[in-house]
Amino acid sequence: MNKLWPLIRVSLKVNFGLSVLRDRLFKKKKDIWMVPLIALAVLGLFPALYGYLKLIKYIYGILQPMGQEHAILTFGILAGQFVILLFGLYYVISAFYFSKDLQILVPLPLKPFAVMLSKFTVILVNEYLTVAVLVLPVLIYFGVLSKGGPAYWIKALIVYLLLPVIPLAIVSLLVVSMMRLINLSRKKDALIIVGSLILIAAGLSLQLGLGVSRSRGLNPDPQVMIRFFASPDSLLTKVGAGFPPSIWATKTLVGGLTGPGLLNLLIFAGTSLALFYGIPVMAEKLFYRGLIGIGEISGRRKTISQKDMARQVSSGRRPIKAIFLREWRIMNRTPIFLLNGSLTSLLFPLIIVLITKTGRGYAAFFLRAIGSGTSIYVTLGAAAFMIFCGCLNGTASSTFSREGSQFWMSKVIPVSPREQVIAKFLHSYIIALLGAVTASVVLVVVLHMKAAACAAAIILALITGIILNVIGMIIDLARPLLEWTNPQKAIKQNLNVLFAVFADLGVLSILWLFVHFMVRAGIAGSVILIVLFAALVLLSLVSFQFLLKFAAKRYNAIEV
Amino acid sequence: MIELRHVSKSYNKGRVKAVDDLDLVIKPGEIFGFLGPNGAGKTTTIKMIVGLLKPDAGTIAVNGLDTQQDALQCKAMTTYVPDYPAVYERLTGLEYLNFIGDVYGVPKKERLERIEKWLEVFELRQAVSSPIQSFSHGMKQKIVLIAALLPAPQVMVLDEPMVGLDPRAAHHMKELMREHCDQGKTLFFSTHIMEVAEKLCDRIGIINKGRLIACGTMEELKKLDQDEGSSLENIFLELTEK
Repeated sequence: MNKLWPLIRVSLKVNFGLSVLRDRLFKKKKDIWMVPLIALAVLGLFPALYGYLKLIKYIYGILQPMGQEHAILTFGILAGQFVILLFGLYYVISAFYFSKDLQILVPLPLKPFAVMLSKFTVILVNEYLTVAVLVLPVLIYFGVLSKGGPAYWIKALIVYLLLPVIPLAIVSLLVVSMMRLINLSRKKDALIIVGSLILIAAGLSLQLGLGVSRSRGLNPDPQVMIRFFASPDSLLTKVGAGFPPSIWATKTLVGGLTGPGLLNLLIFAGTSLALFYGIPVMAEKLFYRGLIGIGEISGRRKTISQKDMARQVSSGRRPIKAIFLREWRIMNRTPIFLLNGSLTSLLFPLIIVLITKTGRGYAAFFLRAIGSGTSIYVTLGAAAFMIFCGCLNGTASSTFSREGSQFWMSKVIPVSPREQVIAKFLHSYIIALLGAVTASVVLVVVLHMKAAACAAAIILALITGIILNVIGMIIDLARPLLEWTNPQKAIKQNLNVLFAVFADLGVLSILWLFVHFMVRAGIAGSVILIVLFAALVLLSLVSFQFLLKFAAKRYNAIEV
Repeated sequence: MIELRHVSKSYNKGRVKAVDDLDLVIKPGEIFGFLGPNGAGKTTTIKMIVGLLKPDAGTIAVNGLDTQQDALQCKAMTTYVPDYPAVYERLTGLEYLNFIGDVYGVPKKERLERIEKWLEVFELRQAVSSPIQSFSHGMKQKIVLIAALLPAPQVMVLDEPMVGLDPRAAHHMKELMREHCDQGKTLFFSTHIMEVAEKLCDRIGIINKGRLIACGTMEELKKLDQDEGSSLENIFLELTEK
């Protein structure tokens, strides 16, 4: 145990780059320019936060007279736990099995549980930060609205600290078991991808499947509805039925210091601790057996015949094609890159299909409205959906960071930065295209959107996609993250990806406002689309030219 | 030919001088060995020659072309082997060699001949269809060496190329370095193995704390030492302990 704390401390330092950050910010002052940028990004969150708080107040106002206001807490906690359950999978696989520091940690005289717990703690801290924007406003504003006493605030802190433990421990235990099996096979990479997709699908089906049963449980008969809402906390129980820990957490918060409050706290904390205890037990049994050798790929070691060699030696591709192929192969063959990048392009449309097919709530109603509507907003909404599926996956905004320590090759090969950037752009644009096409198939086939509106939307989405990919590449080129030990850091935990998402949302908001003002000025829908199209073409040309010039400057300046 | 004229490079806003006013010419047909203790400035110099780092002052030319002004032409004439073989692990050996052949514009016939030849020499034919991820450290070093040989460059720059190679591969490596320079081409390499430098190099440079403290043929370096018949190791130790 005395070795565990130093290990956790070092892991946290390495993961959050505290020493490096201190050095770059205050000693070398290399990243000092990031401080105002981060401040700006935080400021940019304020309008969204304001809207979120207003929504909480509004729902509180509706539910409070019915005595159902506690369901707000369940919503917030459930949302946080769902995010952890879904996205924690990437963090766990990557931190437990693909961190390069494991090569240093495994030979050290440390028990497997200590290594696994140190990694688990890092992810846990990461999750506190990730779900803060989603959960903290609910916990804090509910406390303010309901005039919670000191007991509420203490319990809110306990609930927040315990909140990620159950979902993260479940994911960890599933992943450790899965990797143990995968390590027995030769096709490890492929199995990691398939296994992860199965876990994601299972998580989604569980949530959405329970959503169906929840909505089916609501009888539209007014008498039944009245009886339902008259029963205290019936909504809370209904909402949290999919994941009971959210009910225990809510009842802990609102149940007082004794009686049901204490009982639920004991259940919530007890389950968290029991699952948390399962980690060292599982670690000792399975962790190293799944970990050792997972990075080893057994080559075929078959002497290649002269005929095969002659066939496989290329007759000379153009450099752009060669670099495109390199990007394509590396992205698709690195499970963490594939899961975080291209596959999310397919995942979003899939989620929409599941919501539409299984859900009866507002989301499904809203999505079906897209299919039946004709207004310009429907076209724009559809284009935004395609962009969301195709462009916000981090492929463009991590394109240089993903090269990591291998970036030296891009610096020494006799290929101009211009050609290298064009190849990288084409790669991220193909992924965007994949997302947009999948999204449009969902729109037409599942939501029955009219073909003409969908065609207009796809054109808008593809041109906007150029601009957004260019923005992502510029951000990553300005500050490529080339020193990473864990591939997750190059893509999911890369601040450039987050900055690019903020910038993309900013561009989309400006375009939305631009259209909104034209609609209010009484301009016809077809004219608005033509003006928007022309503006986007112009912007994409200008931004692409800027990227090429910027690349020429930056490739020379980046030192490795 | 490689010419370094008054080249300097410092880190931490000038506080740490990695290379200080380096003046050096490596002639065509010459094997030049670059020696120095850890942190002396060898890798920084090499990285500046191949364009990975930008000199703070001075100029570097490859076959008469400035590496900053005519970067692409210089890169087309030069190949580089780093001190650690960080290569595209998710590609197979052959895919990697094809990539290098494509970006250096090596025609198919020559590409096939050279790949066949170097795979045989370095005994890598069996592994070349496997992902580089499955290679041992030495095998990775070999595939990077083959990639550097594939374009038949005018200038080769190698940072500690013998590290990780088995004795047979190291022997072949030395032979091909000689072969390369016998064709009138240039080879610049750093090493910590004194015997290799002594036997193989036409000229040797010793760098310490960023400054070139000695440069010449083995005979010329021996004259710097008072003891007759001193080995390169003795000369190195004496010069670098000051």
